[in-house]
Amino acid sequence: MNVAVGEEIPELVKNPTTRQLVQYAGAQGDFYEIHYDQDFARSVGLPGVILHGLLKAAFLGQLVTDWLGDRGTLKMFEVSYRGIDVPGKPYRCRGRVTKVNGGDVELEVWGEDQDGNRTTIGTANVELS
Amino acid sequence: MSTVISVIERLRSRIGLPAEPVHALVEAGHLKRFAEAIGDRDPRWVDEAPPTFLVALVPISMHLEEAEEYGKGWLNGGNRFEYFEPVRVGDRITATGKVADVYEKTGSSGSLLFIIFETEYVNQHGRRVAHLRGTAIRR
Repeated sequence: MNVAVGEEIPELVKNPTTRQLVQYAGAQGDFYEIHYDQDFARSVGLPGVILHGLLKAAFLGQLVTDWLGDRGTLKMFEVSYRGIDVPGKPYRCRGRVTKVNGGDVELEVWGEDQDGNRTTIGTANVELS
Repeated sequence: MSTVISVIERLRSRIGLPAEPVHALVEAGHLKRFAEAIGDRDPRWVDEAPPTFLVALVPISMHLEEAEEYGKGWLNGGNRFEYFEPVRVGDRITATGKVADVYEKTGSSGSLLFIIFETEYVNQHGRRVAHLRGTAIRR
């Protein structure tokens, strides 16, 4: 597998819905109301219900594992949440290779809202087999 | 103000103390529901846990109820996963969490309370499978 610094990995576009937020709340067991109760979300100063940070992390995790397939192993994955995202809008996951050292590859990954703001940024380290 | 200080002091007094370990079985049905919820159809996740699944296995933010005396809402600041072994259906995982740090930051939009927590995941063979570090923020 040839991997070069600067290479972009295939993007993944997600279209989260309020239904998916409820599904995710149940699957993770995170029942914080800002993810499914519009009135509650507004009462704490949000525009409405927002995506779980960890759902966005899961999207970025898929971006990496879709690209990696069975060619290696994910060793480290970290994300920082910089902004909120709301359901009903596309969420675009992107990434590129930032370091290659033998079989060790570092990727920069990020999630963009509709306006191109990087609302989640992260790093993944993979070991190619 | 004294309430705020005491919340921070109480949380700080727990730094480094491991919580009671939590045991959980990785169930096929749960894995399936999780993969459906994140919209990842890779057949690999029928048997193996996708990268963020461990957060669904046991509650990750222990001891945080009392932090709710501070501010009005929670924010997730970030998550960092390290992986050592795959996690598969049928694995019995023991998760041990701790508060790693607690601090307050004051910015232009007010004060924030940061709680850094860490969870160590070990499987039924006594092998360390993953480590998670998370930043929970009260604002």
